[in-house]
Amino acid sequence: MNGAERGSAVLETVASISMVLLLALGAIEVAFALYARNVLAASAHEGARAAIELGRSPEDAVAVAGATVRRAAGGLVSDLDISVATGAVNGRSVVRVHVTGSLKPFGPVPLPMRFSNTATSTRQTGL
Amino acid sequence: MGDERGQALIETLLVGLVLIVPLVWVLGALADLHSGALAATAAAREAGFEAARSGSLTTAQASADAAADQAFADQGLSPERAEVRLSASRLERGGVVEVEVAYPVAVMRIPLLEAASQPVVWINARHVARVDPYRSRP
Repeated sequence: MNGAERGSAVLETVASISMVLLLALGAIEVAFALYARNVLAASAHEGARAAIELGRSPEDAVAVAGATVRRAAGGLVSDLDISVATGAVNGRSVVRVHVTGSLKPFGPVPLPMRFSNTATSTRQTGL
Repeated sequence: MGDERGQALIETLLVGLVLIVPLVWVLGALADLHSGALAATAAAREAGFEAARSGSLTTAQASADAAADQAFADQGLSPERAEVRLSASRLERGGVVEVEVAYPVAVMRIPLLEAASQPVVWINARHVARVDPYRSRP
């Protein structure tokens, strides 16, 4: 090793470790983002399933969807917005639940990621 | 040393590209597979519920198809590519309806050339629904 290369190994090690850490933290952030997306999808479905039962109202769908998100990802998802719409598709009365939420910013790229999901279910009718 | 000046920068760029491009591709493919899995699961579940509430096997298949189409549309995916298979011997009280949904997800997308995007990974989902034992119809 000549004088010009002195200290380069330390610098290279620091740069490599930084890169590996950045990749590892990024992978963890992606995993959390996929989990948050999964939870929002599940909550939209739970809300829709709750709203189609006889005697249940759109408020029940909002309550069930919100409770699902809080139970599964309480501290991970913020700015939760749940909307319920009713309508008709091909002669069927349907309930559509739309859930939007943000993954709390953390990790190497602390940008708030916003996810949304919609679930549609057909209302039950009296037999 | 003089003729090696600037080589490190080029090597870093090349290695960076070799590492980053597959990583970004894997992330994109993973996100597509995840969307497909969510949609297929929701489609199987909704189709199962709808089929179990139908009066006959003919209307059950139509209801299951419509519910599955809606579930794929909810996820922003094309329902035409999905395959929905319904198996139920009879829709009698307490009976069982099984729905299997298969959806192809292209893991190597070619921009502006969707039809040639190969290979595909088939996502399969299955849901078993029970016909209400207290329903008024047979």
